[in-house]
Amino acid sequence: MSVEPVPSSLRELLADILEVSPDDIRLETSTESIETWDSFRHLQLILAIEGEYGVQFDPQRVADLTTVEMILSDLRAKGVELS
Amino acid sequence: MQTDQVRQNIRTQIKQALARQDAAAVVKGAMELTAISTRPTDTMFSSTCLMEMSTLIEKDLGAKRLRTYIVRSVTVEPLLPYLTMEAVKANYVLDVHVGGYGSYVDEILNPTSALSQYNPDLVVILLDLDDIAGQLPELCADGLGKGVDEAIEQSAARIGQLLHSFRQSNSARIVLQGLVIPDTTSLGDIGDANLSYSLPSAVRELNKRLASICSGVRDCAFFDTDRLAARFGRRSWRDTRLFLSSRLQVSPAAFGVYAEGIVRTFSALFRAPRKVLCTDLDNTLWGGVLGEDGIDGIATGSSFPGNCFYEYQRYLKQLSARGILLAIVSKNNDADVREAFEARSADLAVHLDDFVATKISWSEKSHAIRELSQELSLGLDSFVFVDDNPVECAAVELELPDVVVVNAPLLEPWKLVEILSTQSFFDAASVTDDDVNRLNDYKAQTERTKLESNSGGRDEFLGSLGIICTFVDALQAPLARSVQLMAKTNQFNLTTRRYSAHEIEEFANDERVQAIAVRVRDRFGDAGVVGLALAKLEGDICHIDSLLLSCRVIGRGIETALLAHLSSKAIETGARRLIGEFIPTKKNAPCASFYLDHGFSPIAQPSYSTDGVQYYEIDLTTAAPVSPPWITLEGINTNER
Repeated sequence: MSVEPVPSSLRELLADILEVSPDDIRLETSTESIETWDSFRHLQLILAIEGEYGVQFDPQRVADLTTVEMILSDLRAKGVELS
Repeated sequence: MQTDQVRQNIRTQIKQALARQDAAAVVKGAMELTAISTRPTDTMFSSTCLMEMSTLIEKDLGAKRLRTYIVRSVTVEPLLPYLTMEAVKANYVLDVHVGGYGSYVDEILNPTSALSQYNPDLVVILLDLDDIAGQLPELCADGLGKGVDEAIEQSAARIGQLLHSFRQSNSARIVLQGLVIPDTTSLGDIGDANLSYSLPSAVRELNKRLASICSGVRDCAFFDTDRLAARFGRRSWRDTRLFLSSRLQVSPAAFGVYAEGIVRTFSALFRAPRKVLCTDLDNTLWGGVLGEDGIDGIATGSSFPGNCFYEYQRYLKQLSARGILLAIVSKNNDADVREAFEARSADLAVHLDDFVATKISWSEKSHAIRELSQELSLGLDSFVFVDDNPVECAAVELELPDVVVVNAPLLEPWKLVEILSTQSFFDAASVTDDDVNRLNDYKAQTERTKLESNSGGRDEFLGSLGIICTFVDALQAPLARSVQLMAKTNQFNLTTRRYSAHEIEEFANDERVQAIAVRVRDRFGDAGVVGLALAKLEGDICHIDSLLLSCRVIGRGIETALLAHLSSKAIETGARRLIGEFIPTKKNAPCASFYLDHGFSPIAQPSYSTDGVQYYEIDLTTAAPVSPPWITLEGINTNER
């Protein structure tokens, strides 16, 4: 189990879009663990992250970003500094 | 960082407003948040809060709830929060249902489809070039045109058929999205510009055909996306990566503009445009202050900065040409203004006779507008007020919240026309002959008022008007006018039922039904079709479903003539009793005693009935209403045959 917290800006963004409490967003949170995280919500989420941090994901990679941890590591790999 | 703090503060305020169930504050907060932040997550948050408050937004803020079905072949889900926001801005609450990707033909045509079962008020059809005319890019590749006209013809015919057959079984309002003119083609800029059958010109032609199909289908509006795309910038309108990977038609950056366009388009199907523009004079209609700069000192005409004002005057004149009434509301000396209009006539694009009324005095502008509203018998919610002075604007806004106030930019007069044209308050999907004739009609009204004050008794005055009522079939009034009347008439409207064209047709499509429209003219002018009655015979009882009259002709006996005509036709078809219904609204008090005044007796109500609806009856064999002696009757089936 990871103890690293999810950066607050990402946590709030995910909470807004998935319509859950920010406390429910942890690194291991995934499309499996949150009911509202369906394929349309996933697209909304990716678009919101792209808009928020000024990045673009390769469309082929998008389907694989199914956990908060993966989203976070891809953002970091793109050089985004999260607060 | 500072913005971030502001954002967080507004979010907290919205959450608090949500907790205390304050719809107005939630809406205000959501608008503020999305005005300062373009972050998708703020729009998502705002939209979620608005949806949570939707019942109260409807109840407390009078928003109109629309069951909305989106027929689509593209991805629209990420757009929905933006649609919610824009809808609430225009005072609508949308219950949205999104149809399947590939099933739009079935949804539209099949009377048992999910669409029909949803029973929508509004259907928004969002298709792409692939679905409407997928073969066009190949056919246009050489720009020479082989097969292009036929393809356009077929595509348009197919859409036309879809819409017409949908309309036969469903009365929901329809918005059909047009196509964006392709910007990246194999012929390139030069080929596209010079070859007559390039893809852009073919798509332009197809759009024209689709728009014309929409105007031929009742309650249907064409949504010109290309206009929005061009204004926004076609290059950034579509994100090819997202279109090809997710079938998103519009890039996320354009979601707000796109949603606003959809809302503005469907609004025209649910709301009547405002009818009167009141303009200030100094630094609004012309530059400078007449009282200080003098007749020769005010700026208007062909050179800068006078031409900025001249452009505004031309814009007003164009509004007037399609039936928007113009009025002057100015603090000035009346005689000076009249002299200025005469002396500077060559430099002005509007003249005094273009205005239906002038209120030039030193009294409060809110008083002047209120007076105008009474003189023209038009509600304050039909008025727009334009003034450069922020204090005057604020005063009118405070005193008359129903009036839309436009603050003319004093230091940038060239911007006024643009500011007005981006507003939706004069939007109309169609213009009728009655709209075009409105100015003369209202001017005649002012003449009548003068005559009334000069003549003795009421009957003598009415007799001197030479009123002629012509009764016509409401379906041929034309039908668009009947629908418009039902949608707009508030004061003299006994039941305030707002039927769509389709619903009127459906109602009238029964031989026991009377659907009568009345056209009125007198020696001062032709008021056009101004009244409507719908009634249905059941056994020997005739029920009046709707009876309404435009408020500008009330008080001349026309309502009595309409009732008398309806009664005599009811008698002809075997009716012995006539039953009328009055449903009280905030605005229809002027006709509350209509049935009592015409000899009807109230029917006792069950004690549990608390909605204020009152029924009245009259015995047609002994007490049938008769038309006033001063009115001449004409038209199909009048008593004088």
